Amino acid sequence: MAGIEQRSVCNGVNFCSIRDERFKTIRMSVHFLWPLTEKTVSANSILPFLLSRASRKYPDFTKLNEHLAELYGAVLDADVQKLGDAQVLSVSASGIADHYSLHGESISAELAKLLCSIIFDPPFENGAFPIQSFEQEKRQLIEMLDSEFNDKRVYSKLKCERLMCAKEPYGIGRCGTRQQLQNLTREGLTQAWTNLIHRARVEIMVLGDCDPEPIYHDFYAAFQNLARTDSVNCPNTTIPKASEVNRVSEKMDVVQSKLVMGFRTDCAEPDSGVPAMKLFSALYGGTPNSKLFLNVREKLSLCYYCSSMYNPIKGLMLVQSGVETKNISHAEQEILRQLEEVRNGNFDGSELSAAKLSLCNSYRTLSDSLDGLEAWYLSQAFRPNVKSPENEAELVQAVAREEVMNAARKITLDTVYCLEGSGVEA
Amino acid sequence: MTDWLKKIENERTGDCYFIGKHPSGLEVFLYPKEKNNSTYAVFGTKYGSIDNCFKIQKESTVHHVPAGIAHYLEHKLFESKDGDAFEQFAKTGASANAYTSFDMTCFLFSCTENVYESLKILLDFVQTPYFTEQTVQKEQGIIGQEIKMYEDDPQWRVLFNLLDALYLKHPVRIDIAGTVQSIAQITPELLYQCYHTFYNLHNMVLCVAGDIQPERVAGICDQMLKPSQPIQIDRIFEEEPAHIAKARVEQKLSVGVPLFELGFKEIVNGRRPSTKQVAETEILLEALSSSASPLYRRLLDADLINEASFGNEYFEGPGYASVIFSGESKDPERVAQEIKKEIANVRSGGFDRQVFERAKRSVYGKNIASLNHVGSIANSIVSLTFAGRELFDYIDAIAEADMDSVLARLETQLRPELCSLSIVLPNR
Repeated sequence: MAGIEQRSVCNGVNFCSIRDERFKTIRMSVHFLWPLTEKTVSANSILPFLLSRASRKYPDFTKLNEHLAELYGAVLDADVQKLGDAQVLSVSASGIADHYSLHGESISAELAKLLCSIIFDPPFENGAFPIQSFEQEKRQLIEMLDSEFNDKRVYSKLKCERLMCAKEPYGIGRCGTRQQLQNLTREGLTQAWTNLIHRARVEIMVLGDCDPEPIYHDFYAAFQNLARTDSVNCPNTTIPKASEVNRVSEKMDVVQSKLVMGFRTDCAEPDSGVPAMKLFSALYGGTPNSKLFLNVREKLSLCYYCSSMYNPIKGLMLVQSGVETKNISHAEQEILRQLEEVRNGNFDGSELSAAKLSLCNSYRTLSDSLDGLEAWYLSQAFRPNVKSPENEAELVQAVAREEVMNAARKITLDTVYCLEGSGVEA
Repeated sequence: MTDWLKKIENERTGDCYFIGKHPSGLEVFLYPKEKNNSTYAVFGTKYGSIDNCFKIQKESTVHHVPAGIAHYLEHKLFESKDGDAFEQFAKTGASANAYTSFDMTCFLFSCTENVYESLKILLDFVQTPYFTEQTVQKEQGIIGQEIKMYEDDPQWRVLFNLLDALYLKHPVRIDIAGTVQSIAQITPELLYQCYHTFYNLHNMVLCVAGDIQPERVAGICDQMLKPSQPIQIDRIFEEEPAHIAKARVEQKLSVGVPLFELGFKEIVNGRRPSTKQVAETEILLEALSSSASPLYRRLLDADLINEASFGNEYFEGPGYASVIFSGESKDPERVAQEIKKEIANVRSGGFDRQVFERAKRSVYGKNIASLNHVGSIANSIVSLTFAGRELFDYIDAIAEADMDSVLARLETQLRPELCSLSIVLPNR
């Protein structure tokens, strides 16, 4: 696989590219990083959606989408996510590589121009985003937030994180609250957009089968125009240990209950212990051969799913499970008992090597998709030096048994959230 | 050793793959992707949740088996006398999984190391059934939990409520996992009976995509595949009436936003639609309702849909075919009216040439993009093969589609009289 190339565009703006002809597509994305605060979260969150629907050249949503269809179904995408205590606002363009076009068009050149134009040249009316676009994106964002409730697995995970990190910026929802979205005004958004392009930390990524040079120059020119002078600092806090267990349960009219347990791990990026913590989480609950899967699901049939997930940026680990209401406390005990097992070293060489193989397999597989590469390199934003997925695989491979036990011993239970179903079929 | 494999090339995509019938009876596809880190293999049988009534051609007995048995069998095949297949895969680092759909069951793995070792494990465990009273009973707990999880899943419920409204007889309307009651009737004997019928290599396909050497895969096939006698299975479906069961169905669940699925049943007579027809339907749906369409714009401007959830699908398999539009909406009835109105417009006035060309390009691009991933390639090849279609033919059919044929699909598709609306509403 081709390597990653990194360079600076200007103050706070990085450009990274991977040119790789294995892919039949290209993907270019611009990620704006801004500290999560109650004040800015909602206004920021609507911006990528507003930007990706029109530009001055294509002020009409349908016309823009017709143009994308002509470019062989190219896609302009918007996204908002959290990366530690930072909010990441992303706008991306993807499409097929130039030599697959049926009539020799250059798709990459056009997509780069389009992406620059939607970000830097929105179709402002009297200095603000058009009212109809604004109202429509606001409505859609509220619906997106509301629909998180539809999937109880997602809902309960988010709820546990929110409870656990109530005193950290990470506890703020990725779009803020429904009320904050309702209260957004058009006037405030122009300022939010100005702040973002002038002061946010920016990661630009160009991946796939295309020459990054002309795209770099497009972005270089666009940012030179702004004459940026400084960029915002994105701090990331971690709480190493839990002092006591916070328990919250909520009753709901659903058949299956959900149990989510949030732990503090005392280990977050760029700590050198991260690979060991990742390995611990894989061995404990990250694979179909993990302690949680084999014991809590297979042996005891307590849950249909039971798995752990480590967030290396915040230093958190969540154990999620779907369980019958009458088995909730039994499942919790068993989940904690399996943690003790790892702490006490009750795992053999084959379990350890299985966890290593599984993690290395997933890191190496990442490099086979543009989405995977993008997510990986974005997750490196808080590191002083960027690791490749292959580097990470090597580090995990080198972790010793004792380091896994030590990682398990650092874990403390912080929050237990339980969504209690009525158990009755609707 | 590999004379049974022949190479298929495609100019448009620049890709090629090998195809052949192994002497054991198994149809094999090998799709080389040089320099890819991961390899993806799918071993599938043409056997899904709808195959609950069947007969082996040489025999006279018709077998009726409980709903959910194909899915149950999928779970149980991972077990053997001395442990389960996940333990084996743990030694190679492969990530293994399986899924059961309406018309097929697939076992798969993805790995970046020990490819050939992992392939041996896959071929071995799927060919080695082991069911006892005890192990069969134990699975009822886990699958019971899975069924309950689906009862809470609004996306799942809105689909199955729709299928139940569209179909009166066809088993596609029954949940893939069955019910807690139906799975209680499953015994080791029934599992063996279904296994020996449908897991015959003549009824199966293997596809491996990745940085592979075809000769080595062929060698493993020679070593691992157990030759089987050709089998002819009659899948028996009650005749499906040429009308729908219900025009509207509604369920209340714990959701924050209402969901809908609007289905248009197509009358099918025995043969499945051709590659060309499926490609034409995909283009038709793109022209009708993509984000570049006037319909989409009207729905969006009237606050009736959102971009995150609105979509369409050609839902098609043995004995059933429907076009389904789906999404979240505060007013699904009005969405349905608008969609039907637009269909009527297109039926009477056709499309502008430009609308058609754009839709065709868009569908073409999306299908080219899907060749990036070994997983999407392998899964597509397996499902296309079971449907009697071929991957490169499909891409060529898109590139060569003409507008009149695309519009001609409306003769049998998107008929207003064969339409049902399924809605899931918030329960508070």
